[in-house]
Amino acid sequence: MSVSDNRNASGWLGSEQRRLLIQEYGIFLAFLILAAVLSVSNEFFLTAGNISNVLLQTSINGVLAIGMTFVILTRGIDLSVGSVVALAGIVSASFVTSSATAGISGAPYPVALGLGIGLLVGIACGAVSGVIVSRFSVPAFVATLGMLSAARGLTLIYGGGRPVPALTPAFRWIGTGNVLGIPAPVVVLAVVFAVSWWILNRTRFGRYIYAVGGNPHAARTSGINVTRIQFVVYVISGGLAGLAGMLLSARTGSALPQAGIAYELDAIAAVVIGGTSLSGGIGRVTGTLIGALIIGVMNNGLDLMGIQSYYQQVLKGALIVGAVMLDQKRNYGA
Amino acid sequence: MKRLMIALASATALLASSAMAQEKIKIGAAPYGLNAEFMQIWSAALQEHPAVKSGEVELTVFDGRYDALVQQDQFKTMVTQQYNAIIFAPIDVDAGAAAVQTAADAGIPVVGSNTRVNSDLLTSYVGSDDTISGYMEAKTVLDKIGCKGNVVILEGPVGQSAQISRLEGNKKALAECPDVKILEDQTANWSRAEAQTLMENWLTAHPNQINGVIGQNDEMALGAIEAIKAAGLDVKSFAIAGIDGITDALHAVKAGEMTSILQDARAQAQGALDLAIFAAKKGDYKPQSDIWATYKDMPWNDGKEKIYNVPWTPVTAENVDQLLATRK
Repeated sequence: MSVSDNRNASGWLGSEQRRLLIQEYGIFLAFLILAAVLSVSNEFFLTAGNISNVLLQTSINGVLAIGMTFVILTRGIDLSVGSVVALAGIVSASFVTSSATAGISGAPYPVALGLGIGLLVGIACGAVSGVIVSRFSVPAFVATLGMLSAARGLTLIYGGGRPVPALTPAFRWIGTGNVLGIPAPVVVLAVVFAVSWWILNRTRFGRYIYAVGGNPHAARTSGINVTRIQFVVYVISGGLAGLAGMLLSARTGSALPQAGIAYELDAIAAVVIGGTSLSGGIGRVTGTLIGALIIGVMNNGLDLMGIQSYYQQVLKGALIVGAVMLDQKRNYGA
Repeated sequence: MKRLMIALASATALLASSAMAQEKIKIGAAPYGLNAEFMQIWSAALQEHPAVKSGEVELTVFDGRYDALVQQDQFKTMVTQQYNAIIFAPIDVDAGAAAVQTAADAGIPVVGSNTRVNSDLLTSYVGSDDTISGYMEAKTVLDKIGCKGNVVILEGPVGQSAQISRLEGNKKALAECPDVKILEDQTANWSRAEAQTLMENWLTAHPNQINGVIGQNDEMALGAIEAIKAAGLDVKSFAIAGIDGITDALHAVKAGEMTSILQDARAQAQGALDLAIFAAKKGDYKPQSDIWATYKDMPWNDGKEKIYNVPWTPVTAENVDQLLATRK
């Protein structure tokens, strides 16, 4: 059924088209409504400083959620990202700390080395999960649940359970610096988003990800290396979790072993709110970005209005379930 | 392979020799969890106690992993293995009582340390009164802002005993300054990252209005400092306080950015261990830790007290270097 078939005489848009529009762009609408309500109800919401704050506060979850989108598009899930945040954060920090006792010998090393190590740690964690899921056909939920526990344990072993403080100003720049007035983590998020959008929408690899998630058997039959695709998405998610871990430690000024606990839940929430289907094959990275922004804007707005954080949790819960209800309707017919 | 055999053989020999030294007192320590710096300092202090170093006491530390059930199971293990005494820092005031009961049924004395438990079966308790620290930290903030202006409070997880008591102390100090307004008062769950986000948003909602920040622990106070710096404001124009005396906070105190109040994990641990040995030896024991000499306000009193209150120590520019030297 094509869209034009539904154009009826009664108006500018048929009911079917209106429904499609709401489903496709509902998330943008929801975001705009939320932002409009907050702008009216709080005088500070729409100030440049606050917008910069919201983006800053969204950047870490945004990076994680974009990685999660790749995984969920292939019908997977990555529960380990919060622990990988902590592990990559603490390992990289040990290379760029000026503390005489917390770092490895010879620290601080140049920022590039610290960043490289952090990314490598994330990629390594993702690669392990990826191999277990793609080669050994272990359900992603189980494989990454294992990684969630193992990476947290490794974090505590590596740092002896202690934080790594006194990160060098050069390293902290990625969390606290500015590029033309835009906070550095926001720039990182923008780059991650742009590259991910390009991969998913403009490359063969991106199309394969959708194909694998939509129907793995059909994808295999048509010659796609499903195992490889399934492996790579976990590497991407792990690498981005490593990046997020460094943004976090650079922002707080100290890598903490307890960092990132339950971050996977906010990342999954952003993906789901953004309209990506947990059954794979359907979804947009743009939606994920909006989903992350909705969570960030909501938390910020409620903080500005002095509303207890407990309400934020209730609202977030309602939003997640509501988004999935919309998704079910889209998938299994109206 | 040969090396492995030798290693195994010598390990067996070691085990045998320790079993032969029957006089050793077996003491188990059950902290609620070892992920954070405070409990690590606490456990390390136990290992450094003279009685452990001399081999008089055989100490085992059980990581409670922040789970009341895990702690209960560990108590059962210690009962089965016939420990002579137990040092207990429960995760929960009420859930810990069942564990104490298990030990009491087996006739094993339990000494509380750091966190409280609702049980009258404890031999004694060594800890610090959080109401006092809550009062002290709020007082330093209020003194610095001259008992007028606006403050925000960063609370611990609502319902935890430390949050309840520290808030009580905060409120007591605030009551003495009726002109001070509490602009915001929310939980950041002891977390630096959460506190940073909250403070960023509060600085937006109340531009140039916040004078003081009362953080119920150091982590959250440090998060507030980062938010203030990120907003391009001068940290020193705020009065900021935290509690615990963690290493990062000591550095911030040294930089003149905040005040902190040290909770002496070492004294809580070593004091409890002295009392545990005292109970295991049925009174035939003189305390060996130097903490009893350090804190004149907390006399040993022949081990008879039910509660030993370890005094809080404000971290100041004068003692911060000395405290930092103890952190490795």
